[in-house]
Amino acid sequence: MKDTVMVVDDDPMLQVTVRRILESANLKITTVDSGEACIREVENGFEGLILMDIMMPGMDGWDTIQTLVDKGLVKGNIICMLTGKETPDERMKMLKEYILDYIRKPFDQQQFVNLVKEYLSFL
Amino acid sequence: MCKLKLAVIGSSGAGLPILNSIFRNMPRLRGAIVLIQHMPAYINQSVRDNLAVHTQMTVKLAEQDEWIKSGIVYVAPSELHLKIVSNLRIHLVGGEKVNYVCPSIDVAMKSLTRDSEIRVLGILLSGIGDDGVQGIGHIKRIGGETIALEKKATSIGGLTDEAVAMGHVDSVMSPEQIRDALIRHLGRETGKPDAGKQSAK
Repeated sequence: MKDTVMVVDDDPMLQVTVRRILESANLKITTVDSGEACIREVENGFEGLILMDIMMPGMDGWDTIQTLVDKGLVKGNIICMLTGKETPDERMKMLKEYILDYIRKPFDQQQFVNLVKEYLSFL
Repeated sequence: MCKLKLAVIGSSGAGLPILNSIFRNMPRLRGAIVLIQHMPAYINQSVRDNLAVHTQMTVKLAEQDEWIKSGIVYVAPSELHLKIVSNLRIHLVGGEKVNYVCPSIDVAMKSLTRDSEIRVLGILLSGIGDDGVQGIGHIKRIGGETIALEKKATSIGGLTDEAVAMGHVDSVMSPEQIRDALIRHLGRETGKPDAGKQSAK
């Protein structure tokens, strides 16, 4: 089982919070603040669970995932949305083979850790 | 006389943890389960392995032209559509995505035909979009029983909402109730605990 998680979110508070929660569960965390930075990390060899926000400056979450798919970079990763947006929009339909969950903020910490570990167990 | 009791489960986003809940401590059943889960191909094997940990049923990736047998959970491999020929045999076929996915839940469910000797249970879990809505309606039309996961058990309920709104669903259930419904529909197998589990692929 891999133990690496990348948080893709332009909200620094969210990055700090998720890092604290997941590091206390002995997971290794990478945080980036844009879709472009996420793609660079994956191109540089990141493999693990990617927790992707939707609304970010520049590339949004959907564009980022589509780019990962188009570049053949999804293999070795599990992608879940991590967002405050209540319901998924239409663009998720086209990417649903690659997005395994839609986790809404705020979340229960223990349930979140359990879910992250469950998804990592598939890698 | 019933030749085969069959359950077809369609699952998309947020479905994997729910499947783990449904299959946790699932005994070996006197029927077969075909699972269509939208997922990338590189986790097909680990999804099979994860489910196999939870249940006494044999769990395997479905293979071309194999006969459907009681006691087995067939996981549809990614990038191929799965059809069930004559309600008894797996047929895997390449082709265009349907509803943006391959395999498509609709393609699998709509391949079933009305047959007085086959008892069919159709189950829709969670996800976005339409894939599975027509399929579960088809199962109801051919005389099968249909179930959808309750909305509060998932973060993505759009798929099941639409199936319910269309009148395709007999019952809306929690994961635990779906587990019980599978046991009730297929029946517990007696006398052969865990047989064949080691040979699963």
